Amino acid sequence: MIVVENLVKSYNATRVLHGVDHCQQRGEAVVLIGPSGCGKSTFLRCLNQLEVADAGSITIGDVTVTGGGPPRNAEERERQRRLRLRAGMVFQSFNLFPHLTVLQNVAEAPRFVKRMPRSQAEAAASALLAKVGLEEKAGAYPAQLSGGQQQRVAIARALAMEPEVMLFDEPTSALDPELRDEVLRVMRQLAEEGMTMIVVTHEMQFARDMADTILFFEGGRVLEAGSPEQIFTAPVHERTREFLRRASTR
Amino acid sequence: MSNAWRLSRGSFSFLVFVLLLASRPPPGFCADHLQTIQARGELLWGADAEGGAPYVYPDPQKPEQMAGFEFDLANALAARIGVKAKMVQNQWDQLLPALDRGNFDIILNGLEITADNRQHAAMSRPYYVYAQQIVTRTDTMGPSDLDGLKGKTVGVLASSAAQRLLQRLGAVDVKSYPGNVESLLDLKARRIDVVVLDLPIALYYAKPDPALKFSGEPFSPGYYGVAVRKEDLSLLAAINQALEQFIRDGTLERIYRRHGLWDDRQAALAAYQPEAVVQRKSISTLREWPKYLPLLLRGALTTVALSVLGMAVAVVTGLVVVLARLYGPPLMRWLAQAYVEVVRGTPLLIQLFMIYYGLPQIGLRLNAFLAGILGLGLNYAANEAENYRAGIQSIPKGQTEAAQALGMTQAQILRRIVLPQALRFVIPPVTNDFIAMFKDSSIVSVITLVELTKVYGELATSTYDYIGLGLMTAGIYFALSYPASIFASRLERRLAYDRR
Ligand SMILES: Nc1ncnc2c1ncn2[C@@H]1O[C@H](COP(=O)(O)OP(=O)(O)OP(=O)(O)O)[C@@H](O)[C@H]1O
Ligand SMILES: [Mg+2]
Repeated sequence: MIVVENLVKSYNATRVLHGVDHCQQRGEAVVLIGPSGCGKSTFLRCLNQLEVADAGSITIGDVTVTGGGPPRNAEERERQRRLRLRAGMVFQSFNLFPHLTVLQNVAEAPRFVKRMPRSQAEAAASALLAKVGLEEKAGAYPAQLSGGQQQRVAIARALAMEPEVMLFDEPTSALDPELRDEVLRVMRQLAEEGMTMIVVTHEMQFARDMADTILFFEGGRVLEAGSPEQIFTAPVHERTREFLRRASTR
Repeated sequence: MSNAWRLSRGSFSFLVFVLLLASRPPPGFCADHLQTIQARGELLWGADAEGGAPYVYPDPQKPEQMAGFEFDLANALAARIGVKAKMVQNQWDQLLPALDRGNFDIILNGLEITADNRQHAAMSRPYYVYAQQIVTRTDTMGPSDLDGLKGKTVGVLASSAAQRLLQRLGAVDVKSYPGNVESLLDLKARRIDVVVLDLPIALYYAKPDPALKFSGEPFSPGYYGVAVRKEDLSLLAAINQALEQFIRDGTLERIYRRHGLWDDRQAALAAYQPEAVVQRKSISTLREWPKYLPLLLRGALTTVALSVLGMAVAVVTGLVVVLARLYGPPLMRWLAQAYVEVVRGTPLLIQLFMIYYGLPQIGLRLNAFLAGILGLGLNYAANEAENYRAGIQSIPKGQTEAAQALGMTQAQILRRIVLPQALRFVIPPVTNDFIAMFKDSSIVSVITLVELTKVYGELATSTYDYIGLGLMTAGIYFALSYPASIFASRLERRLAYDRR
């Protein structure tokens, strides 16, 4: 369902992704782990085209973007946008729209991107808010919510576009420990419902519980991939072992 | 807190304004001014060299030097009392107040000997007999006498004899201009059909112009005289003596012939008998406010209309400019940036002159009101564009990325996410600009618009009550601008979605 081949990305002269390959089935939950600065965020951002890769190809569902470089014409721009619509993104810093209510945040893209009638978009938004346990906050503004609540709204906002894959970039790193569980619970529920997901996280217990596959990233490459049992109990690489040992003592 | 600060700054500048008016030196502070001048070695004479030919003007051949018949006369006068002449530049319709303030010793600049002027200064015996001349375009059959002017729009120099004459006549739509050239430019631009002006000006500016013609004979003759402060009696006597001598020995005739201004009328100079001056008591406009306040309010109406419409132009144009600058293709970005830099780097006055007097020369003729709105609006548009840019760039990048990730297009992101959030940051600086434009709009009097400050200036020069009228005028400005700033801070608070 997701196929990434030889993805290369540099910022100015610094190469950040050194030809990443990745393949993922529908319904598979993948967790990316790895040291800081190894390119995890860059990889996710390339997947939904917030960054444009220099080379390689990305396929999500029935859309493929190849060749790298920014879109050169209307057709390429449209293909880029269609790829984007296949993936929903949840950011570390929530990035809710502060001038819109919770309900409007969730209904915004369905209304204006999918051209859904307002009543229908808001009904769907209410249902999604109920799913993340926030239906009573529909009329509130983001500034009136706790961090955990904001991140759950952000998840509902991404889900509203009915993406084929959900991308999470450290969704709980900006939260106090006591607020993390409510977000992780929602993500776990999504995984159980069979949502295809890629999650960047430092929550090792969570990764172990919910991941189908774990990718260990280092220096802009996938150093090691495998099931949680494999990675956590019998990592092949010394670097992986060292990273996990440090992560568990932290 | 910011509100209290704004209020106190407002009242502070108001206080300073009043103090400045009150600190004018009292008249009569110098006993024998002639001796002071002789000790100083310089006779300071006030005149306006802008559009000032043939009276006094920068010599076209040597622009750093002055020329003109009054320039020559001033030199002759100064020589007679044994000093050098030195010109002090001053806007023409403010010459009398400036004399009173002690900016110079005499006025020698086409000032008519009238009862009104004699209220404010002592006038010498006449040095020139002028008359009024009607000027029209060559291609029109214009009126050739005073009665023919009724029902017409007639251009005149502000505070000139022609303006008073026509206002007394009534039934004439009088349009007053800050200088001599501007009325003739508007005549050629077909904004007006007739100009009435002093004959010497007409001889210099209109006669040689093939597009313009004299219509009818000169009429309403009058005298130019030298004005001195009323208490400077010895100076007045010395000037009268000198002028009498110049008339007798032919010095005056020589000067006037050199400038092509000598005519039969000048024979009256020798036979002049001064009329007795009837003293009027000075006016307190504050006590007579029901008479003056409505006039000021009518000017305020123009000020409000100008600044509201001008700001509307600025707000909309500024948005177009900032969008071109931030999101347009490279050439458009460059043009938008150039627009902002050029407009912000040049004076509003020059922009107004170019729009009002310059555009007709390439075939685009706007009336004064439209030109004023356009001038103010396009000028402020550059500021608004910069305000918007600061507002847009203060929106975190994460907002755009979140919207992109949801599949919104560039235009949707701008319209639905970035601009609504930028609005709140932009309201305070835009309100400040609105209030600034409200006050800046007084500059449009240079293109014949009569707004609040112009009305104040006109009333103050005729009543001499700068303080009373000033208090009323300042009160009107404040009463109009303060609610605007209150309204803005309310609006800003209403939009504070993250502090509920
Ligand atoms: N916009 C940018 N311009 C230049 N360099 C960048 C940019 N974004 C990221 N980088 C660099 O690219 C490298 C990879 O960054 P990335 O954010 O993908 O790492 P990461 O694995 O997500 O790290 P972390 O765990 O700290 O979030 C880093 O060295 C970073 O400094
Ligand atoms: Mg990261």
